[in-house]
Amino acid sequence: MEFRTEVVDLASNIAENCMGHEEAFCVAACPMHTDVKKYVAQIGGGNYQGAMETIREKLFLPNTLGRICAHPCEVDCRRNTEFGQAISVAGLKRFVAEKADNKELWDVKVKASTGKKVAVIGAGPAGAQAAIDLRKEGHAVVIYDKLKVVGGMMRVGIPEYRLPREVIDFEYSYLEDLGVSFQMGVEVGKDISFDELRVIYDAIILAHGAHKGNLPPVQGKEAKGVFHAVEFLKEISFTHKFVRGGKRIAIVGGGDVAMDCARSSWRIGCDEVFLISLEDRNNLPASQAEIEESLEEDVKFNNGWGTDEIVKNEHGAVSSIRLKKVASVFNEEGRFAPTFTDETKEIEVDTVIFATGQQVEDITGGLLEQQGGGRYDVNPDTLATKLSDVFVAGDASGGVIVVEAMALGRKAAKSVDRYLQNRDLNKARHIKKELSYKTRLDVPLPKGTVNLPRTSGNHREARERKRDFLPYDLGYTEEQAKKEASRCIQCECKLCMTECIMLNDFTECPQDLFSEFIDKGEIDPVIPYSCNMCGGCTHVCPNDYQIGEAFMGMRKDFILHNDGKSPMEGHKAIEIHQMLGFSKVFCTKVKGVK
Amino acid sequence: MTQKMGFMPGCSLPSYTPEGVKKTMEYLKMVYPDLGGVQKCCGKGTKALGQEDKFKERFAGLQKDIDDVGIEMMVVACQNCYKTIKETSDHTNVESLWTLLPRIGLPEEVKGKGSVSDVVFAIHDSCSTRYEKEIQDGIRWILSELGYRVEESEFSREKARCCGFGGMIVPANPDLAMRVMKRRGNDFDSDYVVVYCAACRSSLMKAGKKAFHILDLLWGPVIYNEEPAPEDVLSSPAKSWINRYKSKHAVRKVVKA
Ligand SMILES: Cc1cc2nc3c(=O)[nH]c(=O)nc-3n(C[C@H](O)[C@H](O)[C@H](O)COP(=O)(O)OP(=O)(O)OC[C@H]3O[C@@H](n4cnc5c(N)ncnc54)[C@H](O)[C@@H]3O)c2cc1C
Repeated sequence: MEFRTEVVDLASNIAENCMGHEEAFCVAACPMHTDVKKYVAQIGGGNYQGAMETIREKLFLPNTLGRICAHPCEVDCRRNTEFGQAISVAGLKRFVAEKADNKELWDVKVKASTGKKVAVIGAGPAGAQAAIDLRKEGHAVVIYDKLKVVGGMMRVGIPEYRLPREVIDFEYSYLEDLGVSFQMGVEVGKDISFDELRVIYDAIILAHGAHKGNLPPVQGKEAKGVFHAVEFLKEISFTHKFVRGGKRIAIVGGGDVAMDCARSSWRIGCDEVFLISLEDRNNLPASQAEIEESLEEDVKFNNGWGTDEIVKNEHGAVSSIRLKKVASVFNEEGRFAPTFTDETKEIEVDTVIFATGQQVEDITGGLLEQQGGGRYDVNPDTLATKLSDVFVAGDASGGVIVVEAMALGRKAAKSVDRYLQNRDLNKARHIKKELSYKTRLDVPLPKGTVNLPRTSGNHREARERKRDFLPYDLGYTEEQAKKEASRCIQCECKLCMTECIMLNDFTECPQDLFSEFIDKGEIDPVIPYSCNMCGGCTHVCPNDYQIGEAFMGMRKDFILHNDGKSPMEGHKAIEIHQMLGFSKVFCTKVKGVK
Repeated sequence: MTQKMGFMPGCSLPSYTPEGVKKTMEYLKMVYPDLGGVQKCCGKGTKALGQEDKFKERFAGLQKDIDDVGIEMMVVACQNCYKTIKETSDHTNVESLWTLLPRIGLPEEVKGKGSVSDVVFAIHDSCSTRYEKEIQDGIRWILSELGYRVEESEFSREKARCCGFGGMIVPANPDLAMRVMKRRGNDFDSDYVVVYCAACRSSLMKAGKKAFHILDLLWGPVIYNEEPAPEDVLSSPAKSWINRYKSKHAVRKVVKA
């Protein structure tokens, strides 16, 4: 039976735009699209194993991410956008990982061998994720890393007091369980050339991160005692020391890496730690938590100052750093172009660390072009390069945080898998959903939602923690975790589904119901004829969708195709009823007269 | 120039209470001595089935009746009649009894009569007029003039929920209709619910509530706690049609009086 275009149009509009299946803010924001909403609810309900299974559907590093994820989900969390107090998603993830993660929950199934071999360069989160996904598809995967340990920047950048190394090792053991091979301590470009790899392997993923530290063009930067954050943190990661440094240290930079350097400085035994940033306190790029924790640890912030000169002593070593007051950081077009006033000040230090960004080193011998920051020229949708067998992932392709590196690793793996099967890289792919995106969800806050404060965690006393590399954050207790999880609003639309009984009998949301109608071109008449036409759905629908109207349109079509009669058996009675309602016996008209 | 007024009781109301129809018309006749009357279905049921052509034909019949007796402003006591005439007729004006009464006032003898009652009535608004605030206000005005105490529920006015009778679903999907009725019943804390649609009244009775049509309160005895509500007449087709027949005569009698 054919429905009239107005009915089909109305239905397709609802099918396309209904927010019934629109992701919650957290889930859309997570580059890996972890079902945050679901596992937070599971934690709230005490179903820790269930929560763990939900997380592991997407993440092989739950405990790691629970500690160090830059959590874009929390930025977009409705409790953040409405009240400035996001759900502590990462904290909850860590809690449940510690409570319930267990190798028995790990899915180690891999498909039958394809006979294809892939080399992944870099054992950071991007390379690891790519390796996992490719291995599961049945390809042989070898990870090359110049270090002897896994984890990439998570291991040699992120300090140990934020991320204990045994957590990384335990979670990475999953790769071995899957049968991923490792060539550790092998530097591509030195121990083996890129060209050689291309001969041996069917495809290559470059996931070697951004480990090159460039010093900005500051006068005196060649002085003894000037270092970049990358080498500083790396040495500390391995030895808990930085032997080339002194006791009075200045960290230049205002981001999280700068905070890591500053806080690590206390832990290697410095006496004074200064932090120097162009941005003022309120505009520091670092996360609020890191800023507060650094302040608690007594880092001396000098915000709104730029480096004028690194002053050397007669041995060519740092003796102080001279700062100039910032007038503005960005120009009128919003571009980074700091200007300064004449005001200066000098701080006596013996060590200066620049935490001013890391770059991607080329390991292809110039075969692939690089852009600003060194990241490779790639097709952003597929991460393919101009070499058909070479793909890039993680920081090397422009990522900046761990969970994003993982999503980029997954993206590259998807492309490689298609490439190995000679399939089109783009076709039938939901590119938008392969990274963070903005959900279309736009709903009023549920009735009665109030601003509940975020449950504070358990940090060790600053005085105590700043002298060791043990975890500074002890994580939530069970009671705290449940309380925190209970703050979740469980964002979704489906407002009509809470209002209408009838819809619940037939569907999960109007999007499903009308999509099915559009796809099949038919609908069981009992559905449109079960609508009360009460308008309750439209009243609560944020888009005012005329769901009743759509059903009414269908009814009219059923009548047209059924000799003017309703297809519902029970409606025979109504027909009689209506006939009588118009019959002479029961009707009258009387003219009024005075 | 004043318009020529008429009254149209609709379907469910005359099937429920010929007495209520009669008393209402008598009062209107006092205010508008040349009041006319039409008893016929507005065709809403036909329309709801999706029978567009048949509906047009039937409404044309109603329109002819209205025109034949020269009614320019039709007063209705049914929210569906109100909407149907408003949306369909190109020249007959329509006013709800529930907005008219506040303008012309209630008869002296009924004012304050409910103030001796110990009942607190919940109000069930009709979903078909969820956005007709004036009608909803009118109902509250009438109740307050009568002196009855009322309580508002969460799902009142534009948040009104269907009584379960709408959309011709009772014959199509009776089990669902029953669940909708029960849910609506549960929206109210009070056992006593006042409605302004006779079909809604029947639904709420099925949901186990003591439901009163506002005309029951206007023209009938004062209601006290523990008293039962009037019988659910609409559940019996025989009784309903007999009533409808009686109402027809009431319309004739009052107009011609
Ligand atoms: C100090 C610091 C703190 C950070 N803190 C956070 C945080 O709290 N939260 C967060 O989400 N993100 C953080 N980040 C960012 C995050 O660490 C990176 O985005 C992420 O690790 C990138 O992953 P990747 O796999 O692309 O590269 P990496 O993790 O950098 O891994 C690259 C790997 O490639 C190896 N490699 C490099 N060159 C070669 C070669 N030629 N041959 C073989 N192997 C090679 C490296 O040894 C390394 O193991 C931080 C970064 C830094 C620098």
